[in-house]
Amino acid sequence: MVYVILKSGISSFLASLGFGFLFNIKGRNLWIAGVVGAIGGACYKVSLYLGCSEILSNFYGALGLALASEILARKCKTPVTTFLVCALIPLVPGGGMYRTMLAAIRGDAQNTLNMGLQTLSIAGVLALGILLVSTIMRVYYQEKRKYLSKK
Amino acid sequence: MNIEKLLNTIIEAGKMLVESGAEVNRVEETMVRMCRCFEGIEYADSYVTLTGIMFSLTYENKTITRICRVHTGEVDLNRIDQINTLSRRICSNPMSVDELAGELDRIKGMSRYTFKETMLFGAVGAAGFGIFFNGTLLEIVMSFFIGILIRCISCFLSKHKLNSFLNNAISAGSAALSAQLIHQVLPQTNVDIMVISSFMLLVPGLAITNAIRDTIAGDYVSGVARAADAFLCAVAIAVGAGFVMYFWI
Repeated sequence: MVYVILKSGISSFLASLGFGFLFNIKGRNLWIAGVVGAIGGACYKVSLYLGCSEILSNFYGALGLALASEILARKCKTPVTTFLVCALIPLVPGGGMYRTMLAAIRGDAQNTLNMGLQTLSIAGVLALGILLVSTIMRVYYQEKRKYLSKK
Repeated sequence: MNIEKLLNTIIEAGKMLVESGAEVNRVEETMVRMCRCFEGIEYADSYVTLTGIMFSLTYENKTITRICRVHTGEVDLNRIDQINTLSRRICSNPMSVDELAGELDRIKGMSRYTFKETMLFGAVGAAGFGIFFNGTLLEIVMSFFIGILIRCISCFLSKHKLNSFLNNAISAGSAALSAQLIHQVLPQTNVDIMVISSFMLLVPGLAITNAIRDTIAGDYVSGVARAADAFLCAVAIAVGAGFVMYFWI
């Protein structure tokens, strides 16, 4: 378990950090983006390890990284996308895309559709996770502001 | 107050934001908020899509409007962050139009990471994916080198103004080709892991994220456009790699 967390955390940290450089994030935000990516990757791999399905694990990963980036972005006063973009990338179903393509050029229509559908549902689930968290956070902070101004 | 200069400056800020890859909602809000901070502005409204900006403001009962065509530029999240900070600052302590223009020029002049840095860290990212997909040490090292190759090729092609579809296809094709060649020399390596981990460098992460966020915010025009962009990019990668892999199957 600890090994899974460490390995997935470090690997997705490196991956997100690399993308932080490509997207020209500077200073402290760069490292935070890496950490958020590590949280997302670790959530995904741990749920896989605990026996969740591929799609459900992706959903948990998306929830984890979206929550982390919304909270940290408000703490650092930067746009949420700064962290979200880099952190999301390790979870993007690149492997699924690749296998769909392989099945397609083998002329295996059954498998192509299977893999393609799986890839599309993973993408949809990632979108759902981010959507859910960002909507809830928006409502939460609005209510909090209202409450504070009433006081 | 020089109202035309204000309009031009605000439009310039919006243009910089869209080019660097900000969400449409953020651009519209930032432009209006910046404008409202100046005294005497009675009304300001903006309409932003991925490819153009319209902005109008009313000052002393006179309304002026400008439209501006935007071409997609290179993603630059630091610039978005800086303009965001600037708009926060201008609301708390107002500045003149000239000061605002000066600040924008300063942000525009900020340096990017050099080619060598992005190449190195892009490759580190590819190696990270190698670990993420449970590769062996050899595969991880090879992903690192394919990552360097991909960065070089895509930088070279975009310098020569090749469109992004062809750029992605060629980069993905050369990644698949080099992975296959490495597999021929070192048969114990797994082609799939090397190809997938280097592919991830081409994945349209920003387009996907912004497609989701734009759609939530209700900007369907940009949301759908970005989703189409992401899908096209994925197809380009698949076509480029598929073309190469075809010879080995």
